[in-house]
Amino acid sequence: MKSFEQLRQYRQQQIVKVSTSHQLLNEFHDELMKGIVHTALKKVESEWGPPPAHFAFFLMGSAGRFEQTIWSDQDHGIIYDGLEEHQDYYLQLGTKITEGLSLCGYELCEGNVMSSNPLWCKSLKKWEEQLIQWLEKATWNSIRNYSIFFDSRVLVGDKSLLLKLKELSFSQIDKSPHLITRFKQNIGNVKKAIGLFGQFLPKQYGEKAGTIHLKETIFFPYVNALRLIAIQEQMTKSSTLSRFHQLPEKFSTLKIYEKDFINLLNNRLCLLLDCKNYDEVHFIKISNLTTKEKHELKRIAKNGYRLYEETKALIDKGV
Amino acid sequence: MDPIYLMNNVWIIICFTLVLLMQGGFILLEAGSTRMKNAGHIAGKTIFSVGIVSLVFWAVGYGFIYGEGNAFIGLSDFFYGDFTSVVDGLAGSVDFIFQLAFAAIALTIAFGGFAERAKLTAYLVFAVAFSAIVYPVVAHWIWGDGWLGALGKQDFAGSTVVHLTGAAAALAATIILKPRIGKYNKDGSANELAGHNQVYTALGVLLLWVGWFGFNAGSTLGVDDAFFGYVALNTQLAAAAGAIAAMLIVWAVAGKADVPTMLNGALAGLVAITASCAFVAPWASVLIGIIAGLIVYGSMRFFEKKQIDDPIFALSVHGTAGIWGTISTGFFATPELAAMNGGQAGLFYGGGLTQLGVQTIGVVSSGIFAFVLSFIILKVMVKVMGGIRVSEEEELVGLDLSEHGSYGYPENMPKTNGSQSA
Repeated sequence: MKSFEQLRQYRQQQIVKVSTSHQLLNEFHDELMKGIVHTALKKVESEWGPPPAHFAFFLMGSAGRFEQTIWSDQDHGIIYDGLEEHQDYYLQLGTKITEGLSLCGYELCEGNVMSSNPLWCKSLKKWEEQLIQWLEKATWNSIRNYSIFFDSRVLVGDKSLLLKLKELSFSQIDKSPHLITRFKQNIGNVKKAIGLFGQFLPKQYGEKAGTIHLKETIFFPYVNALRLIAIQEQMTKSSTLSRFHQLPEKFSTLKIYEKDFINLLNNRLCLLLDCKNYDEVHFIKISNLTTKEKHELKRIAKNGYRLYEETKALIDKGV
Repeated sequence: MDPIYLMNNVWIIICFTLVLLMQGGFILLEAGSTRMKNAGHIAGKTIFSVGIVSLVFWAVGYGFIYGEGNAFIGLSDFFYGDFTSVVDGLAGSVDFIFQLAFAAIALTIAFGGFAERAKLTAYLVFAVAFSAIVYPVVAHWIWGDGWLGALGKQDFAGSTVVHLTGAAAALAATIILKPRIGKYNKDGSANELAGHNQVYTALGVLLLWVGWFGFNAGSTLGVDDAFFGYVALNTQLAAAAGAIAAMLIVWAVAGKADVPTMLNGALAGLVAITASCAFVAPWASVLIGIIAGLIVYGSMRFFEKKQIDDPIFALSVHGTAGIWGTISTGFFATPELAAMNGGQAGLFYGGGLTQLGVQTIGVVSSGIFAFVLSFIILKVMVKVMGGIRVSEEEELVGLDLSEHGSYGYPENMPKTNGSQSA
């Protein structure tokens, strides 16, 4: 069992080797995060004893979608198949995991979507209640929470726990089909990277002047479109690529955008290679791009908006 | 007494109050476009500068413009106060007070270049110098018996006389004062020092827009044939077109329908039509407004890139749009309106390049004169007064406190060290 410090050093030494391959990089992140979770578990076990019930530690956000870059923040939760009074144990575990991840270079989540937060660390029963409540309330915030939850996969522990929750939520959505409209509205505000004349729309002011936020403006239209389809079509896989692979026949016209998304996954790793921290990792300075890179990025961005619009149109048509 | 004479005088005194009320528009516009810590100062300085310009204009300004003299300057009618004279079909006092309000507008525009960093004493001294010399000379050239008026320069209500002159002085001030702390990063990139209240700014623009009917329609100096209605129509069309054009261009280019830019578009339309409102057809007013709305945005971007910090966009709104408005009659002046109001028809009406040439000469000479003279005055002030910019500490704490001793928004400002140690 490696200590957090050893894992941190391991990351520093190894990550460069996999930093240009989307697949290898994300496999590396998984391996590292598994190590961190096991170390954290050992630490908690030494003080609190073995886990009192089956549990699943699951990832959300970019890690949940298997779409991390070199630098990434934390988004994770815990489901345990036990009693209410066990929450302290798992919160302790969540806190240790959060500490370990932070030490190893994974920035704390600004929105506190972490298993150290009781909102994201619950018993199966409480999770079920929370999901039903989120979907019944259908407020902007609860829909957003559900969307975050939905891009999830189990990294360590019992996979069936997360699956049960997703299936429960599907049956809830079946009962209230209007929820799809709410999911659509929730992602309705897209920040654009490309203007009316096909020009980039970089930030105008501050230290980030001349850059575009790659994730918000170019990446999200792809992610959001495919998530919307996945929710409607009750797909449990969490990555955007696997959602592309599983696209049902009625969405087959959207299949052409898959290669753009793959290009984006690979291109951004090269474009962001020099980033020194999480703060920098989303911003691309337009003046640093070659003409070819600019052209390609614009094409990908435009196709992202097309995919997003076509997805909404298909869903509106009731396919 | 001739009822037309009476109505002329009533009309112009109403227009005087409208133009004076434009200062209220500037108070809201400038305060809204700057930060909270300077709001009381920005608002207050507008009032005392109206005080200074009133006294100086009475003492010498009016005489330098309209007194008998030479092609360069007038030299009589100082300390104006004749209740028997008649000027341009108006009681002399009515004409005087209407002209005074214009001088006050020019000064307020010039002070746009001082915003958020000039010492209070700099305002005091420059207010005297500007309203005694800079403004009157340009006004004499075009509206008095000056050489540009003799050439047939068309500037109905003052795109050049008022707006460009004010903006040229503002440019000199921004260059000498240098950018505000925090406006630019070491790599030259700009930061956004957003104004604290867009609602004030929008209200300020609306108040200016309303006042502009006194400014432009009042510049008919009378009610004969109710020509003021036509002037008002052109004014309204250009302002409307400017607002829309600026909104659309910033939306298309920057991806954001930026409110301050749209507001500047409305003002740019107003500034541009100020020279041409009595010379052009309504369709041309729309076009003049559209172009003003487009160039004001380009100009804002240009000055920002050149690291000329212009917090309330005086250079773009009054300078760039003022130049465009003045030159626009060289293209669009119709033969009938030129015959009625002076000068010749524009290029698009078979007037050739003559009027365009006159307008260009007017813009270049007036702009350079106002800029160079203001620059010299300010440089002398820097020397004599030991600088015209507040200290770094004063700028950071805000001019409300450093120059006046109390905040415009006391409840919203952080406690000072003094009160903490008490």
